[in-house]
Amino acid sequence: MNIIELSRKYGIAVITISLFLILALTTEGFFTERNIRNLLDQQSTILIAASFMTIVIISGNFDISISAIFVVAPLFALNIENATGNVLLSVFGGVGLGIILGAFNAIVVTYFKVNSFIATLATSFMFFGFGYLISDRSLMRPVTDTYQQIARTKFFDITSATWIALITVIIASILLTRTRFGRNVFATGGNQEAARLAGINVPMVQATTFILLGASAALAGIVNSSRSISAQPSDDFSFVFSVLTAVIVGGTSIMGGKGAIWRTVAAAFFLAFMNNGFNLLQVDPLWQRIILGLVIVIAVALDSWSQRKNV
Amino acid sequence: MGRLNINQKTAEALISFKNVSKSFGATKALINCNIDFKMGEIHSLVGENGAGKSTLGKIILGAYKLDSGQMLIEGKESQINSPVQSVNLGLVGISQELSLLPSRTVVDNIAMGRELTSGFFVSSKKTKEKVLSVMNRFNLFLNPDSIVGSLSVAEQQKVEILRALNSNARLIVFDEPTARLASNETEQLHFLVNSLAKTGTTIIYISHFLEEVLSISDRISLLRNGQLIRTNIAKKETKKSLIEGMTGKEEGNLFPKIKPVSKNSETILQVSNLTRKNEFEKISFEIKRGEIVGLSGLVGSGRSELALTIFGDKKPDKGKINFYGKEIKNNSINKSIDMGIAMVPESRRTQGLILARSLIENISLPYLKKFSSIYGVNKKKEKVDVIEACNKTTVKHNGVDFEVQYLSGGNQQKILFAKAAMGKPRLLIADEPTRGVDIGAKKSIYELIAKLSDVGESVLLISSEIEEIIGMSNRVLVMSRGKLSAELEGSAINKKTIMEATFKN
Repeated sequence: MNIIELSRKYGIAVITISLFLILALTTEGFFTERNIRNLLDQQSTILIAASFMTIVIISGNFDISISAIFVVAPLFALNIENATGNVLLSVFGGVGLGIILGAFNAIVVTYFKVNSFIATLATSFMFFGFGYLISDRSLMRPVTDTYQQIARTKFFDITSATWIALITVIIASILLTRTRFGRNVFATGGNQEAARLAGINVPMVQATTFILLGASAALAGIVNSSRSISAQPSDDFSFVFSVLTAVIVGGTSIMGGKGAIWRTVAAAFFLAFMNNGFNLLQVDPLWQRIILGLVIVIAVALDSWSQRKNV
Repeated sequence: MGRLNINQKTAEALISFKNVSKSFGATKALINCNIDFKMGEIHSLVGENGAGKSTLGKIILGAYKLDSGQMLIEGKESQINSPVQSVNLGLVGISQELSLLPSRTVVDNIAMGRELTSGFFVSSKKTKEKVLSVMNRFNLFLNPDSIVGSLSVAEQQKVEILRALNSNARLIVFDEPTARLASNETEQLHFLVNSLAKTGTTIIYISHFLEEVLSISDRISLLRNGQLIRTNIAKKETKKSLIEGMTGKEEGNLFPKIKPVSKNSETILQVSNLTRKNEFEKISFEIKRGEIVGLSGLVGSGRSELALTIFGDKKPDKGKINFYGKEIKNNSINKSIDMGIAMVPESRRTQGLILARSLIENISLPYLKKFSSIYGVNKKKEKVDVIEACNKTTVKHNGVDFEVQYLSGGNQQKILFAKAAMGKPRLLIADEPTRGVDIGAKKSIYELIAKLSDVGESVLLISSEIEEIIGMSNRVLVMSRGKLSAELEGSAINKKTIMEATFKN
């Protein structure tokens, strides 16, 4: 393996670890237990959705609608919680809604063959609309004290939100790297025709990826609402962009067929460290976003450059 | 053989290479080559994959730069730094993968980048007139308003040639132009190439098909491992001399010995009255155990569609398929694979391989079930089986964890065989199994197929190369316009009978 291949393979990990070390050595307040715990807690919702977003992108698709699922699922969960007082039921209900919405995306993409970007942009508006519908256009709050424990319970001093993220990441990684489903995802994204001729049910593989992502986006939304002890209907697309940024900076190819969940996790932490470092060093937020944009451009350009060197 | 050109000795060189070398990393693609291309000649480049012929073409077209040596254009030392510069000098290429805009018209494509204007705006009238005049001048007609995507491959190629002529091409590089053409279209292309040369255009012709090269060229340059072996007048070469020159070895027999199949051998596949609307109709034939059945016919005769239907990718409208005595109902690819039918598809890049993934993942893909349990894929067992399949099919590799895109064309093709071998199939359907691979790889693929039949596996071999069909088959089926036009056996298998059946209405 030459240096280009090596850096292509492990570059994001090296960069993330370097940034961690630099911040730990130079920035006061970074390498404290409290700060690291906070960082992990803050990244949990992004990691939950980004692991399965990675799988969708490797299979050659895109899903914009996770922002809307992220908004509507906790509203649905709180509806159940307000009516029954049963938190477990509300979580199942919210995740179940995520599965149903993911399945709806899957049908539009695989059965009606609509480009996944366009399809999920369109369904986003529907799902945002559902959010207003079921919340009566107002902020919702849990009626039990248990609801906030979903994200805030501590095991070994670490929040349950972080544990949920860790478990989600592990499950998604195992699915992608150890199972037949994972292989089929890579094959479908790498060469759909070859996958089909190898006997793979391509629409079924793609549909499964959308459903899993729908469920994980819903779970992320519920964790988020538990942390903030409220949920609010909105048209806010920002969640999907945070998730996509992590996946893409991690080097998972938007063309499909290539990528890994550990890369997405590394990139999510890279972005979080950067953001955290800026705040601790009191960099003007104006400059923060300019630098963030530049980092994304560099990541994508590097990927495209290394691809060219390889062919 | 060879075209007679009286000016051959006196014609001036349009392009001369003096001591040119070119490397890609550690690979030396060209080593100290001296070669010249004269005005108005048809000059073929032959050699195995990796011999350097396409590299030479791409240097002329400005895609690659020389490492050392000189390139003279009409005697003057010149440097070409970009494809645009080449086009401006009148040096144009027609490639295997056509570079057209499929949703635009013939005129739009031909005039692309050279539209005529009146004032600030493009004048479609003037542009069209110019295109028509080029068509007239070279006697090469196409409906100017047709949408290019709706044309056949041969017609699309004509569009590319017209585009070259419209930009006043003095030299055209044809890189494997006939690989995707049917034989009658190939003849038309040759006629066209000849008439272009007569008008003074220099033609560089790169092809694996040696008969084609011998009949069309004025001169032939033979390359091996980046070195020019010789440039010779085509009339002085034969197929045998070219193969020996290309491989550096005496030509053995290209085809292995095919064992005859005994009359009372078991019938494993029986196809009766199989029909798919507008693709093929009333096809009936059978294949015996250990038999190699060749399926010949033009591209578009329905042979690939028939193969895909037997493989379960397409559903027949009418008719029956029996495999080992059982009728296959509601066929699907999955079912076929489970029953022991494997396929080497027509195009390894678009249908066969996942280029950015490893050998392991490619080869085990259709048979992952074998290695999967509730605990996921058993990677150890998978690797052992994949390595065994690679050894069996003589795939040369630096490790099964490497991506297949780094392998040569011949080895990539063999990976498709390794993939099929994983399932120990009882019937292998091989569609154009040697397309675009060099003679060495061809020979070993033929040996593979023969070995399969030796151990009792049956093969349906689909090919556009008649020699391949003749050399490899126990029995030959010919398709023409969706119908089975001949079934040939023993001494009835020869070029004449196959060609007659191919063009039967």
